[in-house]
Amino acid sequence: MIIKQSIYKGIGLLVALLLGHPPNVSAQKVVRYDLYVKDTMVNYTGKEKRAIAVNGQIPMPTLTFTEGDTAEIWVHNQLNESTSLHWHGLFLPNKEDGVPNLTQMPIAPGTTHVYRFPIIQQGTHWYHSHSGLQEQIGMYGNFVMNKKADALNIRKGIDDLPTLPVVLSEWTDLKPENVHRMLHNANDWSALKKNAVQSYAEAAKAGHLNTKFKNEWKRMLAMDVSDVYYNKIFMNGQSESSFSAHQGKVLKAGDKVRLRISNGGASSYFWLRYAGGKMTVVATDGNDIAPVEVDRLIIAVSETYDIVLTIPEEGMAYELLATTEDRTNSASLYIGAGRKQLIAPLPRLKYFEGMKMMNGMMKMNGNLDDMGMKMSLNKMDMNVVMYPEITGAAPKKGDKKKMDMASGAHSMDDQYNSNALSDIVTLNYAMMKATEPTTLPEAPTRTLQFELTGNMNRYVWSMNNKVISETDKILVKKGENLRLVIYNNSMMRHPMHLHGHDFRVVNGQGAYAPLKNVIDIMPMETDTLEFNANVEGDWFFHCHILYHMMSGMGRIFTYENQAANPLIPNPKLAKRMLYADDRMPHFMIENDFASNGNDGMMMIQNTRWSVGTEWRLGYHAMHGYETETHIGRYIGKMQWLMPFIGFDWRYRKMGHGEVEKNLFGQKNTKDNRAQLSLGVEYTLPMLIRFQTEVYQDGNLRLQLMREDIPIAKRLRMSFMVNTDMEYMGGFKYILNRNFALSAHYDSDMGFGAGFTLGY
Amino acid sequence: MKSISKILMIVISLLSYTACTAQIKNSTTTTVAISGNCDMCKATIEKAGNDKNMAKVDWNKDTKKASITYDAKKTTLDVVLKKIALAGYDNEQFVAPDEVYAQLPGCCQYERAKKTAVVEKHSQSHDKGAAHDHSQHDGTTAPAETNELKPVFDRYFMLKDALVKSDGATAATKAKEFISTINAVQMEKLATKEHTVWMSVMKKLSGAATLIAETKNIAKQRNAFSNLSKDMYTLIAAAPQTAPVYYQHCPMYDDGKGAHWLSKEDAVKNPYYGATMLTCGKTVETISK
Repeated sequence: MIIKQSIYKGIGLLVALLLGHPPNVSAQKVVRYDLYVKDTMVNYTGKEKRAIAVNGQIPMPTLTFTEGDTAEIWVHNQLNESTSLHWHGLFLPNKEDGVPNLTQMPIAPGTTHVYRFPIIQQGTHWYHSHSGLQEQIGMYGNFVMNKKADALNIRKGIDDLPTLPVVLSEWTDLKPENVHRMLHNANDWSALKKNAVQSYAEAAKAGHLNTKFKNEWKRMLAMDVSDVYYNKIFMNGQSESSFSAHQGKVLKAGDKVRLRISNGGASSYFWLRYAGGKMTVVATDGNDIAPVEVDRLIIAVSETYDIVLTIPEEGMAYELLATTEDRTNSASLYIGAGRKQLIAPLPRLKYFEGMKMMNGMMKMNGNLDDMGMKMSLNKMDMNVVMYPEITGAAPKKGDKKKMDMASGAHSMDDQYNSNALSDIVTLNYAMMKATEPTTLPEAPTRTLQFELTGNMNRYVWSMNNKVISETDKILVKKGENLRLVIYNNSMMRHPMHLHGHDFRVVNGQGAYAPLKNVIDIMPMETDTLEFNANVEGDWFFHCHILYHMMSGMGRIFTYENQAANPLIPNPKLAKRMLYADDRMPHFMIENDFASNGNDGMMMIQNTRWSVGTEWRLGYHAMHGYETETHIGRYIGKMQWLMPFIGFDWRYRKMGHGEVEKNLFGQKNTKDNRAQLSLGVEYTLPMLIRFQTEVYQDGNLRLQLMREDIPIAKRLRMSFMVNTDMEYMGGFKYILNRNFALSAHYDSDMGFGAGFTLGY
Repeated sequence: MKSISKILMIVISLLSYTACTAQIKNSTTTTVAISGNCDMCKATIEKAGNDKNMAKVDWNKDTKKASITYDAKKTTLDVVLKKIALAGYDNEQFVAPDEVYAQLPGCCQYERAKKTAVVEKHSQSHDKGAAHDHSQHDGTTAPAETNELKPVFDRYFMLKDALVKSDGATAATKAKEFISTINAVQMEKLATKEHTVWMSVMKKLSGAATLIAETKNIAKQRNAFSNLSKDMYTLIAAAPQTAPVYYQHCPMYDDGKGAHWLSKEDAVKNPYYGATMLTCGKTVETISK
């Protein structure tokens, strides 16, 4: 067997050429790609922004292999930071899996790393950086493995169709680090951009004032189906593109095409809909399923679906529309050649209906109550209450609801079953059936229970209320069968992804349960997954929403007595670096420059700890200067409770003989006061923060406060009152991400107006 | 004072001048055909396409053409035309979604180029028609008897689907189309039995359909639809179609008087209540050849 490699260096791909034709059929073909990872500037919105391009392109080039090949991928890191590449959904030796600090050390700037592994499966997959937030700014691409031409599982009418790999993604002009920071500080800029603030004024206008009130009573922030505002949505790097010809032949009426679609978005789910009729789903996560006809499907972050589309009429192109779950943005791909038949955009979500639904499900203690509905597999979608195309348009003011007579006739189950409520067929996991039996080998089975947990207000996402750095790896015996039972007790949906293995989704199809490596679990759903532990190594199991993963929502499976990974020379150091991801502190600062003084705060927080300083600085000694610093630890899943130690300092010039008394008659005469304190903060219903603090001199202070009450879309109200007879009330009008106009009245400093700068 | 007011005048006039000329830079102008009927269409088309300082649309209702001026550096003709199509107006590049077209006010529902219907008819009359027609007809009429009524049933199902969705606008459109298919039926091509039944229900069918077409009030439409469905049942009983059709019943409608409808699917999708009671009802009879 002679394999000669001729290598073309340059922008394009470097592919190993097979010259000699070996007589031996089992001969392995090595397919080599060279990937040059480099910083680049892009301009998608009229502003130059930093992104990362590979071989000069975003998305990264499509890598194509045939089952039986050996992949050899040379990654040349030309960035100023380290990188890595993860081959999503692939079966491979653990050291090729591409998770920095877990399966290899990060690829240092200026170095080259070679991934080499046999291709032992087929199907639509993708690849992406697993380092930091690089996936958000360009490091995602298609990874396609074709069946061998003589394979037994070739499906006529599917595997022989004209095929286009499509990777979905989003773009934000904000730096992803900043997006991450803002999420952790419950910044509502994204909601403002999406027109989804859901303020009291908007609630009143929609006739949902009571709903909003109840929502805050249950200590929830405005609900949304996604957290990040994106400027652009892409299919293969473009908002609008066409698939009009294949291999030089123009597509015509009656032709079928197959799209291999991966969701490379960092945090967006996408609805896929086709203007040319039904879509036939033929595979998911690289595994064939029996064809299913649907009107639409939602593709979770990091899932893949293969769909077959038909071109109904000559001289026409039909829109395939990918709309973000929050419906604020979309990308179009036109299938066919000619005039473009559009599909109607999805109507805006009925947010207050969603809020009402959430209120009903949320118990006072922050747990969710499924009212005995036993939800799973996306069959029931609570969000249908927000979908006008399923549950009708939002009633206009004055419209009496005409539904009352019908209620009661319906079972609870059907209330959220999208497919029973309308004639729009939406794909769910129960509709998927493998093309061949997927039963696991006979082996001892162990069941692991997981609860997906989280806290929207502080953007802490975890499993069993622990983040990655707070847990040990989960030990697995090679050869055993693992059954994962996962319950989502958080308010967001989570696409859970397992590295290195496919799992069976137990969905009522018996031996034909479909195989996947990502499953989307909606709030209150319980799903059961099974897999055979058959490859040693450290395998990540995590939520694939990038910002959830970076917050620590995951676990690591590791095999008992496995060989050491040669790519991790110092496992202790690697572990520390891996844990640093979710331990990362998030910083915020805000100062109000007002006519009566400066008011501000600064906060550094991570999963459990918070260090915060507030200050009030007058312009003269009579108004005084004071600061309070609290170092606290959040307790419990919802993190409503925070004991803290504090340090207060203040200086205020008081008149002769002037004595300050608090509500309890305790006196305070000092102009210059420095005090240590112990205290506890608790978040009350209505999101009011209640602080109790005891100072070293025995003084006691109780305080109630709330900032950022959403009065109107851009108007926020705040207030504070305490037993030192101090009080404050103010308004803020948000101009942009960092800038707001403000006015407030303060018992120490009087009335003041100015502007607030925040980061 | 005077000089101040003079300066003001100048500033204002300058401002207004710049406002007028703060027009589209790098402008390119093209003429594009856009479907439409009336002045209302003109307003909708222009509003959809106009984009401050980026695109300006001027549509002429006589020529059905628009002159579009746009800033070639900031936008493209396709962007403008897509927005117009999404407002309901077919043009050279884009075809509006059917739902959006159906939502246009009656006067704006311009004549659309026929699409799929044409293709369907051809394939149908060739394969299924000839095979079994000879066995049933008396030899004097043309061989395509059952297919003559097929468009009538097809439109009826579309109308029913619109009611399932509680979409009054689409229902009105589909009812209109239903009436034109009734008028297009060539009675001489019907078999004798069908012919008799057809003669008895035709008037009633178009009467009920007219009631639906004339309103967008879904409650009124549903009321008329229950009568329409009775006659459709009589018709299909006399002229069964190749594909099975399900006769379904909702016991609740009209204060418990109940109502029937025909469906192509066995699964119940209730046209009388839409989403609120979608799966209420059952199949009472399956009609097929």
